[in-house]
Amino acid sequence: MRRYLAVFLIDWQNQFVYRLNFLLWRLRNILRLLMTFFLWKGIYQTGSAVFGFSQPQMFSYILLVLLVQSIILSAPSADNIGGEIGSGDLSNYLVKPISYLKYWFVRDLSSKLLNVICALIEIFLLWLIFRPELVLNFSVSSLIGFLLICLVSVPAYYFLSLLTRFVSFWNPENTWGLSFLIIIFIETLAGSIFPLDILPAWGKLAVQFTPFPYLIYYPAAIFLGKITGFYLLRILLQAFIWMLILFFFARLVWIKGLRVYGAEGK
Amino acid sequence: MAEIQVKDLKKTFRVQQKDPGFIGSVKSLFNRQYQDINAVAGVSFEINQSELVGFIGPNGAGKTTTLKMLAGLLYPTSGEVSVLGFTPWDRKPEFQKQFSLVMGQKNQLWWDLPAMESFILNKEIYEIPDAKFKSNLDQLVDLLDVRPLLKTQVRKLSLGQRMKMELIAALLHTPRILFLDEPTIGLDVVMQKKMRDFIKEYNRSFHSTIILTSHYMEDVKDLCRRVIIIDNGKILFDGLLSDIVNKFSKHKTITVVFDRPVEKRELLKLAEIREFNFPRAVLTVDRVSVSAVAGKLLQDFPVADLNIEEPVIEDIIREVFTNHRPS
Repeated sequence: MRRYLAVFLIDWQNQFVYRLNFLLWRLRNILRLLMTFFLWKGIYQTGSAVFGFSQPQMFSYILLVLLVQSIILSAPSADNIGGEIGSGDLSNYLVKPISYLKYWFVRDLSSKLLNVICALIEIFLLWLIFRPELVLNFSVSSLIGFLLICLVSVPAYYFLSLLTRFVSFWNPENTWGLSFLIIIFIETLAGSIFPLDILPAWGKLAVQFTPFPYLIYYPAAIFLGKITGFYLLRILLQAFIWMLILFFFARLVWIKGLRVYGAEGK
Repeated sequence: MAEIQVKDLKKTFRVQQKDPGFIGSVKSLFNRQYQDINAVAGVSFEINQSELVGFIGPNGAGKTTTLKMLAGLLYPTSGEVSVLGFTPWDRKPEFQKQFSLVMGQKNQLWWDLPAMESFILNKEIYEIPDAKFKSNLDQLVDLLDVRPLLKTQVRKLSLGQRMKMELIAALLHTPRILFLDEPTIGLDVVMQKKMRDFIKEYNRSFHSTIILTSHYMEDVKDLCRRVIIIDNGKILFDGLLSDIVNKFSKHKTITVVFDRPVEKRELLKLAEIREFNFPRAVLTVDRVSVSAVAGKLLQDFPVADLNIEEPVIEDIIREVFTNHRPS
């Protein structure tokens, strides 16, 4: 355990080396948020409820997505694992008594912590500037539900992103384009851009059979108190099952990938 | 029992082939052509504790591939390997704590942080006790003379300084077995010498077993008593460095200096002339007839000085590689 604590600490230090990079990344998030914010503001001028969401509900969702994204989707592993497999840098870890996959998961956690802190500050600032009307049905059970689904969806997203990066084992030359495409796809279906309620009925149904909504949409909806009681338990169970499925797939592909790994680049 | 045992080890890679140019790229998108490359084609050897063995061979000979299998990075196509009683590619932590792989062109240090941070991380990864970590670090830092650099960002270090730090990171857990792949690549001559002295010293004081690959014959000559020559995935020679000369060189060189001019024709009757520049001549002579030729020279020619020399090892190895290449 201590070795992974050491990984956490060194990554934490490392994050402060790229101060400018980090600042720009946060700025990107804020800009994207502002764009969504103004887009919806425009839409709400035509009516008081759109797709069953009132304006305060929608703004709460948008601000919340910023927080959920920083918890679930911020993962430097996604930017590095494919490259390390392709370049052969993976060898550095494979010869050591440490698990490469746990190593990157811990680094993700370190990055998530920093991102969550920043997201909370940004949400507060945005709220201070725009003073939007928000709906917060704070209840202990939705808060616990939110924490539980994060606990499950953080590893689930990690396994999912691993699966996209492991393509490098078979195709070391390029996976960046592919991964980028997949990530955009995932983020949209997860509910980063809009709440999934606005999808047509068939779309909503289809998305329910994928692991994606458990990453953003459900956590946000649980937090907002839209999912409660027995329904909440069902969603939590389903999220857990998806996490297990993704875990087994990621593990399988990892083992197969190591068999073909060429340890290139000297 | 030998620390490293390798029996009939083979590794075949499937390598994608692509025609040159844009058309070739398009074609390879739809119809990938593969070729099987026998990188290691049946290699067997044993290495005992505290031996320092040099792997030599031209680029693509199979040295690094063999090393990677010994370190557990690659699964062999067939054959058996036992290192300290472990099968390397099982990647057991108990095994991994006892060896280190240093690749001259790979970094394990955190690029943006001082090297010390990477050392601390390795301390935890390898579960090195505090006292041992401190004494090992002190010793290595002093041996390599890098104490003032410990707090400098790795990216700001020179290649030589970085290589020293890489070595420290690899040696903190005092590995019993050390695989060094081109440890002196890219370093200047002075630095190469320092590296070699360090490796020698490390081998002596820790009795660790070391396998070294290098393109620089100097490294091998200076460090290794035993060498394994690999080419085309096969072992051409496994034995003492000094025996290479006897085994592969059928010739010796005689250098003579004459008092008075001599006829080149007369000399040619005795031996092959490599160089003739009065008063000096260099002759290549069959190993078996060296003494006879030397005797004849002294008897029949006006010889002022005569020297019999073994050919230099670099020449022999070059000869070995050229003769074994299919081209």
